[in-house]
Amino acid sequence: MTDAPFPTDPPTGPPATPAPDTMPLPPAPAAWPPPDATIVAYDVSKSFGGVVAVSNISMAVRPGVTALLGPNGAGKSTMLRMLSGQAKPSTGSVWVAGGDPRKDPEARGRIGLVPQQDGVFEKENLLDVVTLAATLSEIPEPRERAREALRTVELDPDLERPVGAFSKGMRQRVKIASALVHNPLVLMLDEPLNGLDPRQRRQMIELFHQLGETGRTVLVSSHVLEEVERFGSHVVVIAKGRLAAQGDFRAIRGLMDDQPLRVRVVTSHIKEVTAALVASGAVVGCRIESDQRVEIVTDDIRRFRREVAVACRHYDARLEEIMPLDDDLESVFRYLVGGAG
Amino acid sequence: MTAVLVMFRMLLRQQIAVGRFILAGAFTALFVILALTSSGSPSEELESTVLVVLGLGLNLMVPIITLVAATSALGDLVDDETLVYLWHRPTPRWKLALAAWLASVAMAAPLTILPLALTSLLSSGATAAVGAAASAALSVLAYSGLFVFLGLLLRRALIWGLLYLFIWEAVLSNFADGVATLSITTYPTSVLANITEVDVGLNPRSTAVSIIVSLVVAAVGVALTARRLDTMDIA
Repeated sequence: MTDAPFPTDPPTGPPATPAPDTMPLPPAPAAWPPPDATIVAYDVSKSFGGVVAVSNISMAVRPGVTALLGPNGAGKSTMLRMLSGQAKPSTGSVWVAGGDPRKDPEARGRIGLVPQQDGVFEKENLLDVVTLAATLSEIPEPRERAREALRTVELDPDLERPVGAFSKGMRQRVKIASALVHNPLVLMLDEPLNGLDPRQRRQMIELFHQLGETGRTVLVSSHVLEEVERFGSHVVVIAKGRLAAQGDFRAIRGLMDDQPLRVRVVTSHIKEVTAALVASGAVVGCRIESDQRVEIVTDDIRRFRREVAVACRHYDARLEEIMPLDDDLESVFRYLVGGAG
Repeated sequence: MTAVLVMFRMLLRQQIAVGRFILAGAFTALFVILALTSSGSPSEELESTVLVVLGLGLNLMVPIITLVAATSALGDLVDDETLVYLWHRPTPRWKLALAAWLASVAMAAPLTILPLALTSLLSSGATAAVGAAASAALSVLAYSGLFVFLGLLLRRALIWGLLYLFIWEAVLSNFADGVATLSITTYPTSVLANITEVDVGLNPRSTAVSIIVSLVVAAVGVALTARRLDTMDIA
């Protein structure tokens, strides 16, 4: 593994801004990794025997909630295991919370990890499991902190049953409490909502957002798109072991020039407006859905917006709605994964 | 040392399983029957007890019970993928390795030392009991070091451990004194021979050397376990 030239301490303070009276300069190329990144992987690969599970991924994650997204078998869990330090990259290097989590115990102490596997220490009760985590993290008053962490995930610390007798959802919450108990800077969760009921899912997502808003980095791996959409808009998409995209998924969609956009237009003069749009060349396809709604396919969204305004003015049509139909996460994901590898 | 103690306690609790106690109980029962039924003059009694302690105790019961306890100390956590909950904390690896070794010793020692010592006491007196207890203790300490490492290193460590015990310790080490030097059982056996002054068919090493070698084996086992924890991938 090569040593990457990453900073040894997380940078602090806002990025430099130009003096207000100077002439604006063209934007500089974005620095990589971003100065406030708390998770950085540099050209990371992982092979098992002759099988390449993750191939040359460079990624950076900043404070806030980020979803690590990909279909089953895409390499998400392997990537997360390398980021958490559980697996050694075959090539490349990883820097998390101030160090290499495999080599640096202090960096590891700033990470909270919820692994994918179900198993917890089944013979212990939940308070002992979380207290063990707190004690090994060398925090003061471990038992009291364990109680607080369990209450945070809505578990009664005084339940005496062994964890092995719990439902999957309860075990999942014990794992999350163990990951949270030492108040980590970086939280990594592999499919954390598995086994939770809808109310518990909502509560956990809210908790992740709260942690993200307080400056923590929350990296959540999931293959359930509806779930990921609720984590927020920052995604890292992995497909077939490669990085397909990272960033805000709506911005990613905007950059996909090769993928025509589907847009729904609702207006009072549907036939006239549609005909005008087709005649203008701003659309490459259309399907009238009702006497007020049409689904348009365009490969030039800016031109389409101009032309629709012109057409509506021309026919004195009331424009009620323009709604993109495929800038949702599922569409972005479908395009990315379909085009990967 | 709080970290070592909490991990030791947890690992010990995870190890406790009915099947392991049945195995230990079966060995103990066999040993007690053989030891108590051996008869003869007082000097013959001591000799026959020592030979039963050696043949059934040090060569079979102690290593096998220790093998079961030690390979499961961390091996079970690898199998059920719970090792990550200890591994991912900022605790030095040697503390986890030490806790696993202590858990193995704590599991195997009462199941081996007590029956060997008590039965030897009843059948031949205090000398045999001291020899049995001391040699079994050394054996547990040394084998725990080796087999905790084996449990972390290999899948099906139990089978590999049994092969090692039967091929290396039981067969090959009897061929030549040089090979016996590399056998763990040589050293507890030497302590048994030195304390009871019974000829066990082995050129006995001194008690001091035997204690040192057994402790070195244990320490090397813990160090290798810590090293393995540092370099392995965790599920």
